[in-house]
Amino acid sequence: MEFLEIKNLSKKFDEKCVLNDINLNLSSGKIIGLLGKNGAGKTTLIKLINDLLTPTSGAIFVKGNKIGVETKKIISYLPERTYLNNQMKVKEIFRYFEDFYDDFDIQKAMRLLKDLDLDENQSLSKMSKGMKEKVQLVLVLSREAELYILDEPLGGVDPATRDYILDTILSNFNENASVIISTHLIADIERILDEAVFIDKGRIVLQGDTDDLRRQENASIDEIFRRMFKC
Amino acid sequence: MLIKLLKYDLKYMLKNMSVFYILSLFFAITTRLLSLPEQTIMLDILGKISSGCVIAMIANIVINTMMRSWIRFKESLYKDESYLTHTLPVTKSDIYNSKFIQTLIFFLIGFAVVLLSLFTAYYTPDAWTTIKEYIRTITIGFNMSTTFFVSIAVIVIFLELFNAIQCGFLGIIQGYKRNSGKVGFSVLYGFIIYLVAQTLVLGLVFAYGLFDPTVMELFKTGTISIDVNAFKTLAIIASILYVVIILSMSVICKRVLRKGVNVE
Amino acid sequence: MEFIFDNNIPIYIQLLDYMKIYLISGVFKCGEKLPSVREFATTFNVNPNTMQKALAELENMDLIYTERTNGKYVTKDEKLIEKLKDEYAVTLAKSYFQGMKRIGLGKAESIKYLEGIEE
Repeated sequence: MEFLEIKNLSKKFDEKCVLNDINLNLSSGKIIGLLGKNGAGKTTLIKLINDLLTPTSGAIFVKGNKIGVETKKIISYLPERTYLNNQMKVKEIFRYFEDFYDDFDIQKAMRLLKDLDLDENQSLSKMSKGMKEKVQLVLVLSREAELYILDEPLGGVDPATRDYILDTILSNFNENASVIISTHLIADIERILDEAVFIDKGRIVLQGDTDDLRRQENASIDEIFRRMFKC
Repeated sequence: MLIKLLKYDLKYMLKNMSVFYILSLFFAITTRLLSLPEQTIMLDILGKISSGCVIAMIANIVINTMMRSWIRFKESLYKDESYLTHTLPVTKSDIYNSKFIQTLIFFLIGFAVVLLSLFTAYYTPDAWTTIKEYIRTITIGFNMSTTFFVSIAVIVIFLELFNAIQCGFLGIIQGYKRNSGKVGFSVLYGFIIYLVAQTLVLGLVFAYGLFDPTVMELFKTGTISIDVNAFKTLAIIASILYVVIILSMSVICKRVLRKGVNVE
Repeated sequence: MEFIFDNNIPIYIQLLDYMKIYLISGVFKCGEKLPSVREFATTFNVNPNTMQKALAELENMDLIYTERTNGKYVTKDEKLIEKLKDEYAVTLAKSYFQGMKRIGLGKAESIKYLEGIEE
């Protein structure tokens, strides 16, 4: 059984087809890059896996389960926007996560928070957008999940934090977990990827082992991407 | 999981509503203190202002309980926070039930605070007697006990407001299925659903009237003071109908939610 | 030590290179127990799967071996490491001469340059 199985998945908004008949199988224990230009359909695909959108047709299975309570227990998702209630303090949000997710490790969350120079007593309303994103990252990485889905985790952060994020993803990563990272900043991330999935205009155009792709094309994933989507 | 969701929904509401509760009670107390006998004109004016504030706060409690319930519903299910709500390992039914119970609880709390404020601000034995006598004149006409009249009136008003809130929820759910003009359509749908619910209650009462001539009289003459028993029956039937409508609407809401959402 | 990877070349091949240097230079001696895949991955800051692939390749070349449940060890065969060292040195020398050739210098001249360099 595949860990993540996507069958004939399509999503339309009005008449516009954002995802067109996607078929994808991912096994566990891998770090997978979901690579594509802005508007290629990366976020739509991720939102469908997280039950934030309803498919127009097709289905998604995680460990054989349809998207629902069981899949949400094992998926730790970092959206590309801030979703935290501004009225809460960091430690209140930690408690919130502890309440709802059995796999949330509050000690680890405290440690990561400290690494990132954030204060647990600070209220979200007094934080900058970048700080809130860091808090969300801490929340997501402090879960002992089986599938991490990170939507543009490197988007708005400084290079130092970018390195920290990649290191944390790597040190967090174990053979039972999979990580899906969507990004258009491929060069920064490609060295940690096992597999690359290229998505363009709502379709998967290339999928493969990153080292195999490098050898076949004699180029970096970033370079392959640039060649493929040359304007 | 329902309990956990409810815990956070209640916390949020308490955070946003408590200021009105406190102010309402605060002004009730100042009104009472300033209405003590033998006072200057200045204090009398302050008392009048304070009394006005009590009324304003009571209005605020009523309006905010409704608005906050709607806003919270919209934010948790469809705005940025929905990214957290819909990825929690809970069912859509639990998410809805939590909002439903939260609203119910805050209606009761609001009601209690309003009563307490009024009592604190204005209670005097004389006023109490006057109100009692006033109600008495109505209830004697209808040949029913005061307790029954007061409780049935409160229950009908309560159910009516609660029904309105839930119509708003369904309106939001329907409005957010659209790709554009979500807020506008939410209000429009909420209003339409409310009208449909009200028409339904009226229609069903009419249907009941076909079997009960005393109730039918109401529709023929258009006044309430026809028959004593008719009013009683009407009030009870209306309450039951509201409960049925509220419960079935919540079933509809949950069914629609379970089919999935599409957040921005 | 900072490990720099060239994204144009498969990462496991670059890891393989680093590991060979470790073995040749005696950072890990013959018969010595190696750190776990995870530890290596953390040191090199790479995906454990990629590290695993590099180690598997080393194992294919008999440079390391796995003792069931105990972990991985450097080969006890010193000759093998010697051979590796020899091969590696040849590769380095070749690439030096190639570079010199590109700027029009022959073997004899190239060696003169080598001698001129203080260690």
